[in-house]
Amino acid sequence: MEKVLIKGKNFLGFEIDINENDIKSITKELQIVLASSSHLIKNTIVTLKLNSKNQLFAKDIINFLKERGISINAVVINDKNSINQEDIPPVIELKNTHTVTSKEEHTATYKGNLRNGQSVKANGDLVIVGNVNSNSYIYATGNIFVLGDLYGIPHAGYGGDEHSVVFAFSLHSPQIRIGDFITRSPEEEANTSVKNSKMNEPEVAYIDNNNIVINSYREWIKLKE
Amino acid sequence: MAGKVLTITSGKGGVGKSTSSANISLGLALRGKKVVTIDLDIGLRNLDMILGLENRIVYDVVNIVEKVCKLNQAMIKDKRTDNLYLIAAAQTRDKSAVTAEQIVELTEELKKDFDYIILDSPAGIEGGFKNAMMPADEVIIITTPEISAVRDADRVIGILESNNKTEMSLIINRINPELVKKGDMMSKDDVLQVLNIPLIGVVPEDKNIVSYTNTGEPSILHSQSESGLAYKNIIQRIMGENVPFMEINEKKTGILTSIINFFKE
Ligand SMILES: Nc1ncnc2c1ncn2[C@@H]1O[C@H](COP(=O)(O)OP(=O)(O)OP(=O)(O)O)[C@@H](O)[C@H]1O
Ligand SMILES: [Mg+2]
Repeated sequence: MEKVLIKGKNFLGFEIDINENDIKSITKELQIVLASSSHLIKNTIVTLKLNSKNQLFAKDIINFLKERGISINAVVINDKNSINQEDIPPVIELKNTHTVTSKEEHTATYKGNLRNGQSVKANGDLVIVGNVNSNSYIYATGNIFVLGDLYGIPHAGYGGDEHSVVFAFSLHSPQIRIGDFITRSPEEEANTSVKNSKMNEPEVAYIDNNNIVINSYREWIKLKE
Repeated sequence: MAGKVLTITSGKGGVGKSTSSANISLGLALRGKKVVTIDLDIGLRNLDMILGLENRIVYDVVNIVEKVCKLNQAMIKDKRTDNLYLIAAAQTRDKSAVTAEQIVELTEELKKDFDYIILDSPAGIEGGFKNAMMPADEVIIITTPEISAVRDADRVIGILESNNKTEMSLIINRINPELVKKGDMMSKDDVLQVLNIPLIGVVPEDKNIVSYTNTGEPSILHSQSESGLAYKNIIQRIMGENVPFMEINEKKTGILTSIINFFKE
């Protein structure tokens, strides 16, 4: 890991991430990094991320940056109580925050109804806000969440991820695909018509013991605990 | 005058496009609008018959685009009102005899003199349907309350959306209240749940329509008939009047629909 790192953050501006514990080499590294990028981060929102050792130098680092025209909007550390909060910007605590992993970062959202003959593909998880009608197809390398009626054909874990699931407010697909598995609805229900749809509960399809099973969301959540 | 092109289409065949085209055209004309209706079902014409104008056809829409005749020579005036003209389909040709560009050009010309240009689309999603879709300012989709018809309508709506034809409304035709009540037929709300576009009319199954077609007198001329009443309401809604729907076996909107509508905002 680099000793000093400036990361761009969506919407949030930049974060200066310090992984070095000696104040001399911190300032030396900062000087080098700032030479090439200080013009980019001036006048944006900048946060400073410290670890449990170098947080001792919080005030020094903040002042050092201020002299170079960069003002820190917040300090990010693991545990708030272990730092003297006087004279420094607000502190953001990581201890109780779930940081989104790189896998979780990829969620695509599709708003609207997916109609007969249409399809959507997504890298990562896919959330559909609307109905997915018969003869449409949805593919995601991760999970599929349909906030609506699902009559089309979902393929979650496209490419082989068997841990993926398909969630829908109302699941009526004639066929469900997860990873390399396929299941189809019993023949009697093959022509599921809308008129038979009751207001049933949200359901989840997932792989259990090399089979795709469908369970109510409530039951599935219990199994996960 | 800046006329509006109203295309009547369905996906599935035989669900009532021509019957609706005839009733809507004649209904708007009887309400004082200047209307021209074009039968784009080339090779399978029947709008002329439904309107009772069969014996007046000399020239047709293919003759116009091939410049065999002048535009006004192929415009057949209705026998009941001066406000309605029909341009018939050619019977001896097929759908490839005209292109979408030619129909766009024709409707642009007609927009100068008419309030409404109503296009009766052929079934399907092929070339003939494209000819009717491309010039449209607004589209009315006809479906019957059957799964296959509703799915085809859904397909057509998707194609219209991807061509930026977003001014759409729906007519549900041949609904049978008895069967809906017994749960043997999709209800209006079941259909709307799937198609999710604004409803402009519900036309009940009406056994008299066969004889209305045979005599060339659309339902709208029989103001007491069930279908005539339904088309009268549709005309009023097209003209921007607020008419409540005759409720046929109403169902409560589920919480699901409410949630989806919430997210759509
Ligand atoms: N509401 C109704 N009640 C009873 N019969 C109807 C009704 N609407 C239409 N029909 C009948 O259904 C048949 C098909 O209607 P129509 O020709 O209007 O359909 P279409 O969609 O134009 O068909 P095509 O796809 O072949 O052009 C006709 O015989 C017509 O009389
Ligand atoms: Mg027809």
